[in-house]
Formats: sequence, C-alpha cells, structure tokens
Amino acid sequence: MDNMGNGKQKTALILGVSGQDGSYLAKFLLGKGYRVIGASRDAQMSSFSNLKHLRVYDRLEFESVSLNDFRSVLQILNKVQPGEVYNLAGQTSVGLSFDQPVESFESISIGTLNLLEAIRFLNIPIRIYNAGSSECFGNTEGASANEETPFHPRSPYAVAKAAAFWHMANYREAYGLFACSGLLFNHESPLRPERFVTRKIVNAACRIAKGSGEVLELGNIEVERDWGWAPEYIEAMWCMLQQENPEDFVIATGETNKLADFVHEAFDAVHLNWHDHVRTTQTLFRPTDILTVKADPLKAQRKLGWKAQYKMKDVARMMVEEELKGFEN
Amino acid sequence: MKRALITGITGQDGAYLAELMLKKNYEVHGIKRRASQFNTDRIDHLYQDPHESDRRFVLHYGDLTDSTNLIRIVQQVQPDEIYNLAAQSHVQVSFETPEYTANADALGALRLLEAIRILGLEKKTKFYQASTSELYGLVQETPQTEKTPFYPRSPYAAAKLYAYWITVNYREAYGIFGCNGILFNHESPIRGETFVTRKITRGLARIKLGFQDCLYLGNLDGKRDWGHARDYVELMWLMLQQEQPKDYVIATGIQNSVRDFVNIAGREVGLDIRWEGSGAEEKGYDRNTGKCIVAVDKRYYRPTEVEALLGDASLAREALGWEPKTSFEEMVAEMVAQDLKEASRDLLCSREGFSVKNYYE
Repeated sequence: MDNMGNGKQKTALILGVSGQDGSYLAKFLLGKGYRVIGASRDAQMSSFSNLKHLRVYDRLEFESVSLNDFRSVLQILNKVQPGEVYNLAGQTSVGLSFDQPVESFESISIGTLNLLEAIRFLNIPIRIYNAGSSECFGNTEGASANEETPFHPRSPYAVAKAAAFWHMANYREAYGLFACSGLLFNHESPLRPERFVTRKIVNAACRIAKGSGEVLELGNIEVERDWGWAPEYIEAMWCMLQQENPEDFVIATGETNKLADFVHEAFDAVHLNWHDHVRTTQTLFRPTDILTVKADPLKAQRKLGWKAQYKMKDVARMMVEEELKGFEN
Repeated sequence: MKRALITGITGQDGAYLAELMLKKNYEVHGIKRRASQFNTDRIDHLYQDPHESDRRFVLHYGDLTDSTNLIRIVQQVQPDEIYNLAAQSHVQVSFETPEYTANADALGALRLLEAIRILGLEKKTKFYQASTSELYGLVQETPQTEKTPFYPRSPYAAAKLYAYWITVNYREAYGIFGCNGILFNHESPIRGETFVTRKITRGLARIKLGFQDCLYLGNLDGKRDWGHARDYVELMWLMLQQEQPKDYVIATGIQNSVRDFVNIAGREVGLDIRWEGSGAEEKGYDRNTGKCIVAVDKRYYRPTEVEALLGDASLAREALGWEPKTSFEEMVAEMVAQDLKEASRDLLCSREGFSVKNYYE
C-alpha cells in the first residue's frame, strides 16, 4: 500500500496538524511516502511543538487555513490538490464547549460543511476523513456502541460533532463523495495537552513522585471510558481512506475502565498510592457528563484489519514513562 | 398576563400560533426579518397599531443569525414562553444554501437558548423548538416514535438535528424547560407556495381557471404523514404547559403519497386525472380534455430522497390528550377552496384589465 512503488507520490492535507492526532498522522503518512501538507489556523504563529517533538517538523509543508472561511478552504484545496484530506481541526474540549458553544459549532460543524462544499465545488476526487467522536453516543447504558448505535450527544461539543457526522453521511449519499467518519473513542498520548484529564493525572503523579507535595483535584472519577493509544488510532484513519467504498467506523479498544482505574495505574507506575494524593471536587463536574461508555470495534477489525494493541494500563504506563523522561532531560 | 415570544411569526405556523396565543390571552411578541417588501400577509388580520392602547400583539425586527439582536429582544420582552419557529424551512433549498441553513436553523436555536441563559431566565422562560420528521430521513423503523433513531438526509435535517440535541442538552445541563415538537408535515391554506402541497393546490386551481397549463412535480411516490398546521400549533402550547419538559412526536398516523394528494386535490378542483407511465416519465392527463396537466421534472428530485414518513403520536395522545381534528381530505379541500378563491380573484382582476402576478419559482 506504500506510495513509493507506484511512481506517483500521494499528497495528503492534514487540517489541525498541530494537535496530537495531526502530528502522529503526519509522521505516519511521511513514513508511507506521502507528501504531507499540514494546515493550521495561522501556520506562521503555531509553534508545532508536537511535530518538533516527533522530529518530523522539517519534512512537512505548511499552510494557513481557516475552516470557517469558505474562500480559505477552497483556495487551499485548489492549490494543494490533495488525494486525501484529514480533518482533525476544530475545538476539541468537551468542557470548553459549554463556555464556547457557538465557536464549537462553527469550528466543528460549519468547518466540515465548508470542506465538503469545497470538494463538491472543485469536483476533484478527494477522499476525506473527518474526526467523529464517541461523545456522540452519550451514555451507552450497558450496551456497546457500534456503527449502528443511535446518538445521544450530551454537550455542545458532541452535538456539533453529531451534526458534522451527518453532513459527512449526507454528502456521501447525495453527491457520492468518498467521505468517512471515524468514531474514535478516547485516545491518549504524551502529546495530549494538560487540560485533558489523562495528561493532568500523569503529570501530577510524576510531579508528586518527584516530591512536589501537591494534591491532585479531579472531578467525577467514577466515569467510565474506553482509552486507547493515539499513535495507533491514526492508522485506522488512513485505513478507512484506502478502502474500496467509503464507510464510517468505530475505533476503540473494546475495554472500558473507570477514571479511578486510570488514576490507580498512573500512580502505581510511580509507586504511589493514589488515595494519599487525590481529592475529588464538585466544581470540576460538568453540567452534563457521560457516566459510562462501551465500544464495539469489531467492524474495524473485520473490514480494516485494525485492532488496538494497547489498552488502558499500557496507555497510562507509557504516558508516565514519557513524562518521566522529560524530568531527566 | 403571560408573554409569549414567537420567532418565525410571519410563517404558516407562526401565524396560527399567534392567533391561538391571543385567544388564550397572552401578550404576543413576534420577530420578523427586515425585507424590502411587506412579509406580514399571514398576520395582517392580527396587527395592532402602535398607537392603540393595551397592545397585545407586538412585532420586533430581528434575525436568528444575530445574537445581539436576540438577546436584546428577549431582555425587553422577558417572555414566559419562547416558540422558535423561525428557520430556513425548505429542504430542497437547503441543498443550495447549506451554510445559511446551518446558521439560521442550528445556531439560531443555540443563540436563543444562550439568550435565556445569559439573561438568567432559565427558571422563567420555557422554550419550544420546532423539530421535524425530516430528522428520520432514511427511516430506521416504521412508524416513527420519540425513540426512533434519526438519520437526517439533507443539510436542513442535519441543522435541525443540531437544534434538537442542543435543546435537549440545555434542558439536561441547565434545567431550561425546553421541549422539541417533532412535527410531521403540516399544511394549510397559508402554507408557502413553494412547498409541494401548496404548489399542487395552487397549480391545479390555476390550471382549472386557465392561468397555467401544466404542474411540474418531483418524486410522486414520496409518502408523507400530512396534518393541518392549525391543529398542530395547539400541541406546541400544550407541551409548555406540562409539569415536565419532554419531546413529542406530532402526526396523524395516516400516510399518503404525493400522487394521492394530487388526485384528491384534483377531485376538489373538478379535474379528473388519469395517470400514465412511471418514474420520471409519469404524466397525469385531464380525462375531459385529454391534456397533460401533471408531469415530473427531475429538477425537483432531491439529491438524497426521503421516501416515506409515518408518525406515531401515541405519547402526545396519551400524555397531552391530543387528537388531530382535521382529516387529510378536509385539509386538502380547505387548501383547494382558498386557492380557487385566489385564482378567481386573479381572473376577475385580469378581466377588468388589472395586471396579475404569476409568481414563478
């Protein structure tokens, strides 16, 4: 499937290249021999620290794009003429979406719509991947969510992601676009910013292990999630666009754990008992939160041949390892 | 006196709801968009001059795409109930203006909910969101209930899906009394002329009186659950009078095809229609004259078609004690009668030498 052999180099455009998934995907696609163009709202102002961290910054080309601005989207697609577009841009924090609901809608739903319209307008055979979200499912209430499970979004972020998902499906069915949504469950890595709870926990555990003496404050630690390893999730995105026909896929490990379990693993990795260092506080609870999610990633295994190698315990430990390396440098 | 704020008051549902709310002794405030021509035909009979005392019907200029405007109106009016009926409401047009549709239909609902929140009116102001059977799109089960999963098939439906869930979310997150009415198609003599039902009754009336030769339609096999808008607006009000906010399907439970609609409307006008051919080649002939008066124009096909919708309004029947009052045949007859009246007026005007507008799409 690599590009090197068939003479013509493939071009991929990654929107939201400065983020966790964008950075790992850029590295992955470069490894596959792609020409990779990374786009960000203001490419000259972005530090792209994630790409530098992964040591691939020098091998990318960069463009500034605002997904809210149709002209900007049209211009970049026309200039780059990509074979594949990965839309990983947009507001990514569920918590923040309660404070910025309109911005969340505009960057997520309108952004996706502009991309679809631009592809339709240009009429070039672009394959597009859009980052859907497991947040669309809401509480799965015991049952495992697969591609047929109805949505019950519980935050402005999730509602916006649901609208974007249906725009993708609609443009696929109405205009025959090669458009795929990946319904990715939580996927973590050392590149997660600290406002994500996993990174917050890992960093605090490492600091406490080094003697900071702080107390870690968390919201509801009874919530249950399916946590996977981001660097392998982005491979599933690529796989989707290599299929014969465009389809949507749930991407997850299939294993659900409590947040408290993640806390336990992270502290255990630095030989601490989390009960001595963690306090839960009501103020960090969300207006509406999802209590439990369960995922059924069988379709991805069956059709894409993709299966998560790393589960929650591995993820927590690998994040701690990486963070501790930072202390040594 | 209770105050209601109605967005989309110049539309079909807005006009019927305004009339109902005035009867129920509400002070009614409506939002209308600025336009270079008058757009208040449907509420002309409700108008009260600003110089009258004790005015109970007040119009404000506004637009669902302008947050500042909405916040200011909600602040001024301090409504007990908001009915969000404003929207780019045409499915076919949404394929041509997807971004505007998202802005007005999806963000519009969010802007109103935010206005309630920003002004601290969560405990006072109840919110009705006009949701739609188009959410079911490629139907996942028949008939459709409040539990049927959505599968929107147009930019309009995707935008309405956002509005539906954001209403649910603001109810769950902030305790706003917000309800979705998932209304199946609802028509009336004041339905917009570009919607298929009104296009049929108006077209056949004008064919009968010689203003038009042929009526061009899209998918004749499309099946819908059609009720009367006048019956449905009662539900909007009822939902907001309940103890607990909930979402309800509103429908008749009876399904007819577009072709059925044409046949019944034809009978009412006095045109007996004979069908020939199928698909895009299907044509309807006037049995008396032999002329082709109905034909399919593929331009009216949707890129993604919604084939059949049928609602199950059991919950509304049981919880709200609601029943539709008008039958499908009565509704079509009422629409035809009105369109015949308008066509007759045009005929009279043109005979007397006054110019008559055709209003092409």
